[in-house]
Amino acid sequence: MDIIFFNIALGAAFVSFCGYLVSFLLKRVFAAKISMWILALVFVFLTSSFGIRCLTTGESQLLSLHGVLSFLAWVLTGGYLLLQLKTKTRVLGIIVSPLVLVILIVAWGGIEAKAEILPILKGSLVPIHVMLVLAGEGLFILASGAGAMYLLQDRLIKKKHKGTLSRLLPSLADLDGFNRFCLLLGFPLLTLGIASGAVSASTVWGSPWQWDPKQIWTILAWGCFGFLLFKREVSGARGRKMALFSVTFLVLLLVSYLAVRGFLPTIHRFS
Amino acid sequence: MNLLLVGMNHLTAPVELREQMFLPPEEEKDFLREAAGSDAVKEVLYLSTCNRVEMLASVYDLAAGEEAFKRLLSLRARLSPEDISRFLYIYRDEGAIRHLFRVSASLDSMIMGEPQILGQVKDAYRKAVETKTISAILGKLLHQAFRAAKRVRSETALGENPLSISNAAVNLAKKIFGELKGKTVLLVGAGEMSELAARQLFKYGVERLLVANRTYSRAEQLASQFQGRPVPFDLLGQALAEADIVIASTMAPGYVITGPLVAQGLRSRAGRFLFLIDIAVPRDIDPVCGEIENVFLYNIDNLQEIVDENFLKRTAEVRKAEIIIEEEILKYRTWLDSLQAVPTINALIGKIEGISREELARCSSWVQNLNEDNRRQVSVLVESIVNKILHDPITVLKEETRENGADLYISTLRRLFKL
Repeated sequence: MDIIFFNIALGAAFVSFCGYLVSFLLKRVFAAKISMWILALVFVFLTSSFGIRCLTTGESQLLSLHGVLSFLAWVLTGGYLLLQLKTKTRVLGIIVSPLVLVILIVAWGGIEAKAEILPILKGSLVPIHVMLVLAGEGLFILASGAGAMYLLQDRLIKKKHKGTLSRLLPSLADLDGFNRFCLLLGFPLLTLGIASGAVSASTVWGSPWQWDPKQIWTILAWGCFGFLLFKREVSGARGRKMALFSVTFLVLLLVSYLAVRGFLPTIHRFS
Repeated sequence: MNLLLVGMNHLTAPVELREQMFLPPEEEKDFLREAAGSDAVKEVLYLSTCNRVEMLASVYDLAAGEEAFKRLLSLRARLSPEDISRFLYIYRDEGAIRHLFRVSASLDSMIMGEPQILGQVKDAYRKAVETKTISAILGKLLHQAFRAAKRVRSETALGENPLSISNAAVNLAKKIFGELKGKTVLLVGAGEMSELAARQLFKYGVERLLVANRTYSRAEQLASQFQGRPVPFDLLGQALAEADIVIASTMAPGYVITGPLVAQGLRSRAGRFLFLIDIAVPRDIDPVCGEIENVFLYNIDNLQEIVDENFLKRTAEVRKAEIIIEEEILKYRTWLDSLQAVPTINALIGKIEGISREELARCSSWVQNLNEDNRRQVSVLVESIVNKILHDPITVLKEETRENGADLYISTLRRLFKL
């Protein structure tokens, strides 16, 4: 049952992405409106799939690749839809929907794999740790997505570009607010996630800090996050500079994450 | 006698050149006198607004008049007459009439249907009258233009056209601020256009208005309309720090809002956005302001491009207006044709002869008592008096027509004798 729901969610994510693409290319808001409702369906089916999995297996799903990725997709979709309620940021879907789609496709690849979870990871804090860190990073991705849109819109307005693209994009204030909202919500989540990770690490490995590449990377991401929030809330920076920082940080973090995943051994894994 | 119109507008010349053409009000009359001094030129009117510089004239010789105006304008623009030709349009006779009517009716405006232009044409007319560079032909032409403009205003929806500069500005503001509620707008210079824009912004939620104007009383007056606050002109920097949207429309010859002034204003406002709208020519806001982060600067040429997108929607009303204009052109042409000397002379003779015939008929009771010979003598007497009276005016009229173009005499004659 959960697999069926997941497959429906995957299909819906694909349709939604196509809808946003059409909306973006043809400059029609209507297509984006429909796509948003389809994305809401993705959210509903992901929630159901996830819930059923948890109930039937009786254990947390956050320790398998499939579980982790579908949770990340769930956070992205949910976060985006939440913002959609507040502002008319429809076209941001052109960034969020392909991201969700790719994540779900990768998750689909691991759907049948029964993860053999390392026994030492069976501590109760680990799923919470994973959930919090993922939620935090998901919001960071959303913040940067809004940042990218901001840079585009800022350029269109500054260059006096006429045409419908600019009209389709959300206002600068909305995008900036979106960026801020994601940072404000994401940073505490990531902080708590790291803290819970540290606690479980000290019980599992004996020390909270292992100089593990993944740990270093996470702390780096946390630092970037904190820097952005500091600039925003303390120095009162707004607008283009913040957007530029968000996007640059995300790109750097993604590149370094792939490098970490690809080339460095890590003890920070599930199986 | 021919009509000639030489000019440039927002479509043919860049804003930098139009700025160069800007004449301070005190120099305008000298410029008019200089233009009227040319041998080829009889009457001349000089119209200079944000978006256009135009010279309208009645001339004895079209080619010579054209040369004279090109030379005058090129001196002003510091370009050679050949170079300036690229930016000019030249209309003759009916083309010139049509252009003037379209301009007055705001069909040629950057923002079609904007009300300001008619006032500016009237202003130009008044100046020409004061300088005595205008008489019958242009005088009548201008009045016909005012009539055409009023008809367009009352008989078409162009005047209510929501697609004004203010709407373009409102849409841009929404793109930046999302929501205009609670925002503050600062008017620098209190013209009609900026008032219009402010009104529109208020309709969409802007809540506070600051007005900085050289004449403080005018600032007070405008501010009171919106429950706003007048600001002394030298405290502009402070007002900038409070404002979210700035509309600049002063007639100042240089930049009123400079880069450092904006940067200083931004420092105390923690990364808020600032939207600068410059609808003045010469420009009020230094273009470098637009390069500052979180500051967005649009001048009238930029707004023009946005307005253009919506051009098609207005074509129906535009067509109606064009028809009105053609009707008014016809009326003016009819009048102009009547100014030919021969028909006027014929009309004059006809009228006077008519009067004498009528009067003779009225006296028929006592004329009947005369014998036939005397009756004939009376009518010969009347006829010769009429001819003697008419002889000099007609001769002079014919002479004047040959030498100078007798429009003034002809139109006066027509007016005096109600021809």
